[in-house]
Amino acid sequence: MTPRQKRYWLGFAGVFGVPLVWTSLFLLIPYAVMLAVSFWTRKFPLFVPDFQFGNFRQVFADPQYLEVLLRTGKIAALVSVFALALGYPLAYFLIFIVRTAKVRNFLYMVVIVPLWVSYLLRAYVWKIILGTGGVLNSFLMWTGIIDQPSGLFLYNQTAMIITLTYIFIPFMVMPIYTALEKIPPRLIEASHDLGEGPFWTFLRVVLPLSWGGVVAGATLTFCLAFGDFVAPSLVGGPDGMLVANTVQTQFGAALNWPLGSALSTVILLLVLTIITISERSERYGKIDLD
Amino acid sequence: MQSRVPSKITRSVSMAVSTTLALAIGVSSTSAAFAGELNILTWEGYADPSFIKDFETKSSCKVSATYVGSNDDFAPKLAAGSGVYDIIVPSIDTIGQMRLAGFVDSIDLKKVPEFGQVHAKFRSNPDVTVNGEVWAVPLIWGSVSVLYRTDKVTQPNSIKVLWNPEYKGRISLWDDKSAIYWAARMLGYDNIYDLDDTQLATIKARLIEQKPLVRKYWSTAGELAQLFLNDEVWVSNAWTGLIAKEIRKGGKPFTVAEVDPAEKSEGWMDSMMLVKGSPNTDCSYQFINYMLSAKGQCGIVGSTDYFPTNPVSAKTCLPAEEARSRHLDDPGYVDSLVMWQMPKRLDAYLETWNAVKAAM
Repeated sequence: MTPRQKRYWLGFAGVFGVPLVWTSLFLLIPYAVMLAVSFWTRKFPLFVPDFQFGNFRQVFADPQYLEVLLRTGKIAALVSVFALALGYPLAYFLIFIVRTAKVRNFLYMVVIVPLWVSYLLRAYVWKIILGTGGVLNSFLMWTGIIDQPSGLFLYNQTAMIITLTYIFIPFMVMPIYTALEKIPPRLIEASHDLGEGPFWTFLRVVLPLSWGGVVAGATLTFCLAFGDFVAPSLVGGPDGMLVANTVQTQFGAALNWPLGSALSTVILLLVLTIITISERSERYGKIDLD
Repeated sequence: MQSRVPSKITRSVSMAVSTTLALAIGVSSTSAAFAGELNILTWEGYADPSFIKDFETKSSCKVSATYVGSNDDFAPKLAAGSGVYDIIVPSIDTIGQMRLAGFVDSIDLKKVPEFGQVHAKFRSNPDVTVNGEVWAVPLIWGSVSVLYRTDKVTQPNSIKVLWNPEYKGRISLWDDKSAIYWAARMLGYDNIYDLDDTQLATIKARLIEQKPLVRKYWSTAGELAQLFLNDEVWVSNAWTGLIAKEIRKGGKPFTVAEVDPAEKSEGWMDSMMLVKGSPNTDCSYQFINYMLSAKGQCGIVGSTDYFPTNPVSAKTCLPAEEARSRHLDDPGYVDSLVMWQMPKRLDAYLETWNAVKAAM
């Protein structure tokens, strides 16, 4: 090795060595372990190393796992839709309606700042809001809309969707905000000059140009909601078990790490598929500006 | 009155913060002032400062307790790696599993002089003493009965109250495999620890049928107490004693009562076991002996309202009336309960319960 090459490799190791070791130690090796354990066999009182596909068969054959996966997909999709419905207009408002940078930055921070607060705390607060003796019920009773506190707000899927939407909405607003911010105002002016009204300008110019942000935001919120297990245990009810809770149960009370690993592997593949699809659709929505 | 609102929120928030911390840290840190430390995996109320402080001073062993919400929590916690806990306190249906999984060491009776004072019924239990070797030291026992709000629910006489549509959305149930036992007893099965597949399928159907009536499955005593105090649920199965005590402390205008249903209540007995390879056996044995002594027995009875296992020492500190209500002289009360046993096919039970929870 020439001194030059030596210097190169020393520099390489110095800059990338630690991150690469970290990545393999805490990400790649655990994934490999998870995959390996997914082929093991449950055997009382614990489990034994093995190579068989029974756990994967069980994941697909037993309808309960499919049901939980579908339910989780439904909840995650609804969370993404609501976060988009709330987050896009908000980001649009911040970029195109608010005129002063100071106000815009302030409002943006207001949206982002909950991320500084512990996730668990934010989920917990919804229990206080939605509970039978909670803030929402007290308010509705005070206004006279209801005369008995309602149990309809907490411990069900609606409560989970509300909580998760609230928690993950910054992840929708941030990428859309960034995408909208990058749109040169002259493009919008040009569209107006060519006689398009605000509706078509939005549909043909703004939306396609911010599509990448929408896809990124939707992917983030969907995947985060898909993997959540705190909301179901805090605000979810008996019908609200999500796939992450199922995995947790397999590693906990059920003491079936092989099945839990198989389930995790399936989830990992699902999430990778979603990310691949979203990458494709991001490219699809691009407009050539040249 | 205005000022009450923020204080309520502050309290809830601080509770949430401590929950967060408890989840994040799990075990509290230890102080250097102690000669040894003892990590105990146990139940709420079993490491109450009211008697643990005294033990710490006497033994200079610092106690750190982590709480489980179900007997199904012991095996996963120990399987995840040894060296964390020194003593575990599983119930009678779980000590066999701990022994078979190789998680625990047997007890050196020479170091537990008061073992012979423990109710003979518990000492000779086939999972406590196996082939002459002792694996667990009985600590405390009690029952699981029906807990209900007296102003909302008429005194139930059957487990069926947990399936009564009249209380839709006001019912809770322990998130534990024992849910299977409850459904089995409601159905009148008498082989509840040895159910066959058809019976398990029926039980599963009944538990799924119950789901729309259930507000929330509870997983810790604190959670169930909060569910009652926040007006979320009116009736549930519950560890007799501790939870009702917590609710009464909450100072609400309603009160709760416990009742043994016609199908009988469940009985349990929790024992101390030594985690295999623990380096703190010295502290561990000191702890076991302390808990069998008058201070330990009456301390834990005081914090939980459960029943002492060592009548000899408990008699010296419990008032006569309480000694009666805690069945000091009639361990035969056990026979009026359906005592927990390890299900013959534990896996099938766990799978059934998980399938119930996963269902709509």
